Amino acid sequence: MRFTQLDRILTLKKGKSIEACRCLALSESYLADHFPRFPVMPGVLMLEALYQASMWLVQVSEDFENSYVALRETKSMKFKGFVQPGDTLDVQCKILSRKESLTSLRVAGTINGESAVGGRMVLESYNLNDRGIADVYLDDYTRSEQKKMFRLLCDQMNPENPSKLVMSTS
Amino acid sequence: MPSNEEVFEKVKEALMDALGVDDDEVTPEATLVGDLGAESIDFLDIVFKLEKAFDITIPRDDLFPDDVLTSAEYVQEGRVTEVGLAKLKERMPFADLTKFEENPLVQDFGNLLTVQDLCNYVSTKVA
Amino acid sequence: MRWFLIDRFTEFVSGDYAVAVRSISLSEDAVDDYVPGFPTYPSSLIVEGMAQTGGILGTQVGDFEHRMVLAKIMKLQLHTEAIPGDLLTLRADLQAHTADGAVIRGTVHRGNFLLAEMELMFAILNDERFKNVKLFEPAGFCRMLRVLKLFDVGVNPDGSPIKIPDFMLEAERAELSAS
Repeated sequence: MRFTQLDRILTLKKGKSIEACRCLALSESYLADHFPRFPVMPGVLMLEALYQASMWLVQVSEDFENSYVALRETKSMKFKGFVQPGDTLDVQCKILSRKESLTSLRVAGTINGESAVGGRMVLESYNLNDRGIADVYLDDYTRSEQKKMFRLLCDQMNPENPSKLVMSTS
Repeated sequence: MPSNEEVFEKVKEALMDALGVDDDEVTPEATLVGDLGAESIDFLDIVFKLEKAFDITIPRDDLFPDDVLTSAEYVQEGRVTEVGLAKLKERMPFADLTKFEENPLVQDFGNLLTVQDLCNYVSTKVA
Repeated sequence: MRWFLIDRFTEFVSGDYAVAVRSISLSEDAVDDYVPGFPTYPSSLIVEGMAQTGGILGTQVGDFEHRMVLAKIMKLQLHTEAIPGDLLTLRADLQAHTADGAVIRGTVHRGNFLLAEMELMFAILNDERFKNVKLFEPAGFCRMLRVLKLFDVGVNPDGSPIKIPDFMLEAERAELSAS
């Protein structure tokens, strides 16, 4: 089972911004616990959706140079609305600045145009092999799987889908 | 006793931290809600940071006199009466109510407080 | 997947602090296939673990009467990733508690190594909009707290054990006799 918190990447401007969406289904098993009488998307999964969208934006902007882009910091992340089953969380992330391996972004999630979550985050790009976390093979494998996942998230029936931005070499 | 400038710097830092706004956005005249985008979630954060920064206690009613704003004695048809305005002035001597007085709609009250009002309030508590 | 992001409480002092543990396994849904080639535990779930540790600490102060939800992540720093085989220790310290909510300072360690630190703000659902919203069934919630060993380790500041609130005991009795 994948832990993707995005269902589709809608638009992507390399080096600038990304728009994506996440639909919540009543059949998602953890909803039975959160909460038993009021099923809503946990705030941290909204955070994860914002992180994943930002991660894809950074990966594509850096041409998948690094095998991993991690969440390092968030600032003033507010949860203002509940995502209920049947709702779609629309995610918008914008790059504010880049410095060496760190990227700063402003991130936001809306439900039918109403603000539901937002704040700032900092992501760090690195190669697993450089940090001694994985050997060259696993490093390359991770990178290639990331590219496959990115393509899956784009609407293949739409000729304008952002997956065309991804380099074809694996 | 901290100087006005020291108070402003600490209040500014608390607001920048809590609201994710930049240094140049936090001017004395900026309203917390309208200009800096503060929402009800943020006020608990702001109060927490100010209490820590200045070692003071901030009772909720001091900044949000809900008892006045929801009382039939002081509010009629969504507007604060003369008596109500006098009560607000008494309870919030640190705030500049002149703009609010021009059109005292209860729903607009949240947008009243400016950064300077907050600094004035903190200064009185620290004294 | 279930939504228990801590395994059990190891320390709990009412109104003061709580410590919980969480072991990360390769066989969890969230770890398997998250990043193929690099099994790692989603950091957002570390935050949830702290939200559960701190949220329970905050709501226990009012004998679990109030509905408390995570309203804001004031600060979050994730120094490195958690991986399968890690045993995480999550410590929440209650920094503030009012009629509107609570503020928690949290640290997550792997042994002596500080993995993450954060400041979380919880809000009590006081709004008119949530008047009829119930989060948990009292019996189910109490059962969860029992399973997390809260009442086994939980103490008041004077050292006396934390008691299960009457309304929860009644709900448990009612549930058992109904079945």
